Amino acid sequence: MAGIEIRGLTKSYKMESGTLQVLRGIELTLPEGEITVVLGKSGCGKTTLLRLVGGLEEPENGEIRFPGEQKTAFVFQEPRLMPWLNVRDNIEFGQKKNQRNREDTARIIHTVGLDGFEKSKPHQLSGGMQQRTALARALAYRPSFIMMDEPFAALDHFTRESMQQELLRVRRETDASILFVTHSIDEALTLADRIILISEGVVSAEYRLPQKQPRDILCDELIAVRRAIVSALEKPNDSTPV
Amino acid sequence: MKKKNKWVPALIGIAAIFAAWYFVCWAGIFNSYVLPSPQKVWATFLKMLKTGEVFRDIAISFGRVLRGFGIAFLLAFVIAAFRIFFPKSEPYYEYLIQFFRNVPPLSLIPLLILWCGIGETTKTVIIVLASFFPMYLSIVKGFTGCDRKLLEVARSFSYSPMRTFVRVILPSAVPDILVGMRTSLGYSWRAIIGAEMVAASTGLGHMILFAQQMSRTDKVIVGIFVIGTVGYGTDRLLGLLIRCFVGGTAQNGWN
Ligand SMILES: Nc1ncnc2c1ncn2[C@@H]1O[C@H](COP(=O)(O)OP(=O)(O)OP(=O)(O)O)[C@@H](O)[C@H]1O
Ligand SMILES: [Mg+2]
Repeated sequence: MAGIEIRGLTKSYKMESGTLQVLRGIELTLPEGEITVVLGKSGCGKTTLLRLVGGLEEPENGEIRFPGEQKTAFVFQEPRLMPWLNVRDNIEFGQKKNQRNREDTARIIHTVGLDGFEKSKPHQLSGGMQQRTALARALAYRPSFIMMDEPFAALDHFTRESMQQELLRVRRETDASILFVTHSIDEALTLADRIILISEGVVSAEYRLPQKQPRDILCDELIAVRRAIVSALEKPNDSTPV
Repeated sequence: MKKKNKWVPALIGIAAIFAAWYFVCWAGIFNSYVLPSPQKVWATFLKMLKTGEVFRDIAISFGRVLRGFGIAFLLAFVIAAFRIFFPKSEPYYEYLIQFFRNVPPLSLIPLLILWCGIGETTKTVIIVLASFFPMYLSIVKGFTGCDRKLLEVARSFSYSPMRTFVRVILPSAVPDILVGMRTSLGYSWRAIIGAEMVAASTGLGHMILFAQQMSRTDKVIVGIFVIGTVGYGTDRLLGLLIRCFVGGTAQNGWN
């Protein structure tokens, strides 16, 4: 299947104490219409990988090949809303003027549960509401490829669940490819078609999950996957300056 | 309630000054030429109101300030924006700007008179020079201080440079731009008086200088009061406009 191909991707940062080699040769294919979830310890380079794929940072070595034009949207680890725009204008921020449509926006506002807050400014929202606005901004853009960096970390259990279902619905309806970073193994098991573990700057393991949705993450098969992930993550893998 | 509390001390302060002034004149400490009494100044002021000469001078000075300030704003805005669109161009003019920033505009008067004559051009140039720099610095600060994280959002949606400027950089710079405008307006008023004292036959600055030559200290004091009041008035007016344009956002929405 055609998809986004990442070959031999490396990235390092210069620091006072030397060079920090974050990524040491990532090999990854993101098949079209699939949800790839990236797991890894804090500081292992998940955000860095996302920024490279999203073109916000230049790779050192290696390449990222896109199959044709992609309409990409980014959900950052922080909400990053425009403080001077209200919720509705923030959600429409990615769209060109002629693509804006009040009804579509209203529907998206409804699906992320922000009815009645259309006119609110970001500083009047809670952290979770801001993050949902950022999610809505990405979805309103109608992307074919979505990169998400721990988008649901600030949400309570139930809101998080409903946002996850919303994301799965979007994927079903638009067939968008999704690259999703999370800390939560449960979240990975709920959403992923495939789970990628990153450690020591490379893809250290890969798990393919059954197609079936909705999933019961407490079924035997997924519990086995969870065991494997936990034991893989437990191995010491600190990336230290060289 | 709060407003009242703010005004009462202000009025008391002003009243105290006038009382002291009145007392000093009443006691005859100074010659009435050196310090005319408040009644004398007030009478002169009323007379000047009646003949209308104050209004003419205010209008002329005001017009000059507006023109110089407007030109300075356009220049500052365009150059600062240019710097954002073409960051590599910066070293070519930045040092020149820093040089001229440290030259007092009034020191250029001899040259300006030589080059531009004693007409309106010289006065306009002096005001432009005086009000350009504070505004330029704040606008540049506003533009370059734009949150990189927000710029990345624009980039992630493949915004063009122009669209990024209009939709991200400009709105995030509005508070800085307005602060710069306010500072510069004050500088314009200061410069216009200097300019009119040197080369003018009209305006508030000229009025003061002429009164001095005629030994009319009362008129000089009236002139000082009028300038202070008009300057304060325009500042308040700008403050009001700012509040209309950006609403409450300036105090709370920006981070
Ligand atoms: N701009 C930068 N300059 C220097 N070092 C950086 C920069 N960005 C990231 N790093 C370093 O790269 C490493 C990986 O950072 P990254 O943000 O990708 O981690 P992460 O996996 O997303 O962590 P988390 O799960 O906590 O978000 C960290 O050690 C960090 O210090
Ligand atoms: Mg991260």
